[in-house]
Amino acid sequence: MRFHAAMTVDTSDTDAPFPPATGALGPIVASKLSKRYREVLAVDGVDIDLPAGVVGGFVGPNGAGKTTTIQLLLGLVRPTGGTAKVLGESVEHPERYLRRVGALIEAPSFYPALSGRRNLEVLTRLGRLEKSRIDEVLALVELTERADHRVKTYSLGMKQRLGVAAALLPDPELVILDEPTNGLDPAGIREMRSVMRGLADRGITVLVSSHLLREIEAICDHLMMIDHGRIVFQGPIGGLLDAQHTGVVARPEHREDLEKLAALCSAAGKPARIDGDVLRVTAGEDWAAELNRQAFGAGITLRGLEVTRATLEEAFFAITDADSDAPDSVEEQDS
Amino acid sequence: MWGAFSSEWVKLQRRSMLGWGFGAGLFFPVLATILTIERAVRYPTFSGDHHGIRVTYATLEQPTGLVHGVVDVSSLIGLVSLCLFAAAFSLEYSQGTLRNLLVREPRRTRFLGGKFLALVLFIGLIVIIAVGISVAIAFALAPGKGISTAAWTSSTGVNDMLQAILHAFLAAVLYGVFGAALGVLLRSPAVSIPVAVAYFLPIEAIITGAIWSGGSNWLPDHLLVALAHGGNGDATYSHALLMLVIYAAAVAAGIVALFRARDA
Repeated sequence: MRFHAAMTVDTSDTDAPFPPATGALGPIVASKLSKRYREVLAVDGVDIDLPAGVVGGFVGPNGAGKTTTIQLLLGLVRPTGGTAKVLGESVEHPERYLRRVGALIEAPSFYPALSGRRNLEVLTRLGRLEKSRIDEVLALVELTERADHRVKTYSLGMKQRLGVAAALLPDPELVILDEPTNGLDPAGIREMRSVMRGLADRGITVLVSSHLLREIEAICDHLMMIDHGRIVFQGPIGGLLDAQHTGVVARPEHREDLEKLAALCSAAGKPARIDGDVLRVTAGEDWAAELNRQAFGAGITLRGLEVTRATLEEAFFAITDADSDAPDSVEEQDS
Repeated sequence: MWGAFSSEWVKLQRRSMLGWGFGAGLFFPVLATILTIERAVRYPTFSGDHHGIRVTYATLEQPTGLVHGVVDVSSLIGLVSLCLFAAAFSLEYSQGTLRNLLVREPRRTRFLGGKFLALVLFIGLIVIIAVGISVAIAFALAPGKGISTAAWTSSTGVNDMLQAILHAFLAAVLYGVFGAALGVLLRSPAVSIPVAVAYFLPIEAIITGAIWSGGSNWLPDHLLVALAHGGNGDATYSHALLMLVIYAAAVAAGIVALFRARDA
């Protein structure tokens, strides 16, 4: 499946656990938002509508425009075209909404000679925030014990967690995290997922940018894909994956039943091919039960039946029309 | 603006800033005071006055003698200020911390203003402590050399000391304006500090020495030195102050406009 323009999956008839994109009420809404750096159009007329309360993933290859878009939303760079609103306020006036926004931008940057606690104090004083928040967010990211050590002694993962703590300082309504799992070990990644889900459970909208598609698939329920400065997909992840190729894999008890099973599928209009000792059927999830029923009726015993779904990575490349070598580059590159 | 001021104050308590700022800021005046008194001679030698290598007892026994050494090196305190301000502003870019800060304080003029005022207070403390220590050393060393300190404690002596503090402080702040401007403009301490020092030490001297001798009455470093000394042969105090205030206002306006307009 290819998409040549921004695609939004309609969730109006699904059981999606989040509200459909409505435009006016989303915490992040952008219309034809653009940023040009001389010859380079870094962000090319993107339309964004992030629903409230979701963990939204923002994915795209290196240089696709993710960080520039985030910087536009945070008022750090000025748009050269279009409009955007964050928490109902124009990005032209970031002072009106940034008090309610937490952000981790690119690699976490701190003063290495100051302790983690003092670094957070710098931000707390600057934003006139509650000082009591420092201990709360340090505990949340499990840095309390190292809080009084200098940041230059921290591992990358600890700096990353301190960055997330800094983003949570204002007790935000919206959290924007750029590559928050960079440098984290598996346990740290799991903790980060838990933190993000916890935020969403409290009604906080989270927008997380990452080049790790499997991470995004694991933690996000809404997705924005950007490529060459353009949003090529936005909507619920489930909707995207459902729109991609799904299949059913059947393994009969006796190999000689494969042909007969294939004929049953063909008769039902479901393309099928024999692959070793299994039959691969191009069909939706609901076809698995029907196939099981029909096989039983035909006297075929199945010893295996599995529904296969497209991964986010496959969906991403289906949309961006990347070549077969590209998955490595997206997974490995740091955007 | 209070948030930016208060936030900057935390950063200024880093050991590197305290050590470097106070170390360099105190070193020159204290050394100058010690050398001035220890090397003082009873009768004129060489050129016979303080423009020569050695100062006479008679010069030091004047009310201004108490801060003689400090005044001589007050422009060096200014250079410390120049580097301090350039580093404080440019490090936010090179360390990547500026974006985090602007998310918490997006009102950029207030951010700049608060940060600048914190640095002004910091350099003010350096000047006061430097003069204070120098004065204490002068009082400690003078009797041993047989230099009378009677005039130092007179009302004129105290007034001269306060004026020395004021002049050194004003010069340091104005040096700081240029340092901050270079820090914001060049965005790297590795570039902004060498450029600042290069201009304020050899380049301007070369300009006035070889290209434009009249420039000593108009170029900022000469004016700053004149201001720090309370006026000198290059420029009167009032002329130096007026010109520098005009320059600083123009530079500050340009830098604020640039900082507000430029992407972070």
